[in-house]
Amino acid sequence: METFEPVIVAFVCNWCTYTAADLAGTSRLSYPSNIRLIRVMCTGMVDPQYVIKAFLEGADGVLISGCHPGDCHYINGNYKARRRVKLLKEILPRFGIEKDRLRLTWIGASDGIEFAEVMTQLNDQIIEMGPSQASVSKAI
Amino acid sequence: MMIKLATEENSLTKGLQQFFKRLLATEEIDALFLPVRLTASSSIMPSLVTDADQIENAVPLSPAFPLNSGRMVSRLSYKLSGRKTAVLLRPCEMRAFIELIKLKQGSRQELILIGMDCPKALTASDYTAYMEKDPLADDAYIQKVFSEKDDTLNGFHFSSACQTCENPFPVNADINIFLHGVDLSEGVMMDSGSESGQKILESLKMPEASMPANREEIVAQIKEANSIANSAMVKDIEEKTNSIPKLTAFFDRCINCYNCRNMCPVCYCKECVFNTDVFYHQPVQYHQWAEKKGIVKLPTDTVFYHLTRLAHISHACVGCGQCSNACPSDINVFELFKSVAQQTQAAFEYSPGTDENDPPPLSVFHEKEFEDIIGIERE
Repeated sequence: METFEPVIVAFVCNWCTYTAADLAGTSRLSYPSNIRLIRVMCTGMVDPQYVIKAFLEGADGVLISGCHPGDCHYINGNYKARRRVKLLKEILPRFGIEKDRLRLTWIGASDGIEFAEVMTQLNDQIIEMGPSQASVSKAI
Repeated sequence: MMIKLATEENSLTKGLQQFFKRLLATEEIDALFLPVRLTASSSIMPSLVTDADQIENAVPLSPAFPLNSGRMVSRLSYKLSGRKTAVLLRPCEMRAFIELIKLKQGSRQELILIGMDCPKALTASDYTAYMEKDPLADDAYIQKVFSEKDDTLNGFHFSSACQTCENPFPVNADINIFLHGVDLSEGVMMDSGSESGQKILESLKMPEASMPANREEIVAQIKEANSIANSAMVKDIEEKTNSIPKLTAFFDRCINCYNCRNMCPVCYCKECVFNTDVFYHQPVQYHQWAEKKGIVKLPTDTVFYHLTRLAHISHACVGCGQCSNACPSDINVFELFKSVAQQTQAAFEYSPGTDENDPPPLSVFHEKEFEDIIGIERE
């Protein structure tokens, strides 16, 4: 049987989670290549539209990851991201995009090991959930 | 302060017209904003009136609801005009305007807001047909719907927004007009909701009255009946749209005209992202989509547009139903939006248009909240 290779889009903040990803790389840790990192300056700039578009274009999972509360380099961007994720988690499941396909985590700049672990876990969980039904063929 | 506003020549409409004339004659009020039957036409449109003679054509209570005037009041008040205006609004229009005040797109500084028990509405197309077929004149309409509790208007039905509205009663107004429980053959009840409202009612020098005892009971009955209708509607629409393929089918007639956005009173962006270059795709882009999927429908971005609008404004949806009213393809946008709005509003414990000091949920945050949505369970 062909194994399911999910598409996971991860919006990671420049200062914390992206730096952690960099650290994971320089520490020669590996994480699943299904995860496409998109570096943003802050999770507070992740417009809900980006997440909706990712799902409509066929992403099986979306991760938003930034600094721990209190560590945001723009003071409170991560708190704003949390409200937006809450909002999306109310709207998307209504249309069959399960709650757990959208995740929000805080991974600090020094957490390279944690970054690799979280990515592996996320990938495993999305594989378990199977492909998203949301990829729209005719309309986008 | 509560007063009874008597009918004039046995007419409720004339009684209210008299009230607005007296309002316009006072020093405090320079203009009125209320529904007026435009000359030589059955259309009733919200209008700004400064000439007392024009009040003869005002129809304060009618089933005509061509647009949500909350947005028009925002145009009248987003900057100071140096004039004081008395504004008559349906409850859902009032809620929309309160939301716009929160977004600094309107101000009540120069307004006297007059709210009312909602006279209910037909959809725009039904209203036109109803007026051509067998219209009940203004007073007969109110008597039939409020006194006789007869909702069948010669075969026409009130819009689904009205049938499922859980709050068709005035809130946040300076002056409230009450119809439920009142003997409408005698007049309507009015009370003041603020100091400025009280001042105006006092200046009319009418004897004080008290609220009919059975009003609360009637209000509770309406809330319950509409709430039951609402639950049934939500259940039905959820069934029809509970997956992306179903949602796509739901919108397959959508022509991306964006009328639902244009008529939405709380769609607040000055420039919509869907009007920008972001969605003015390169020709090659369409080809790439078609090559990837084998087929691409044009115009594109339909489901994306509606989901984005849900993310932007479902927390502020006042349930006026104007999105469905404006749809040329007869898609029941309202039912979908209301079903999602209920959920997002509950998630943020937000009730749009109810409290001017309650900030929109996406404009604020707390340090400790929604902890349960963070992280990934580890094995």
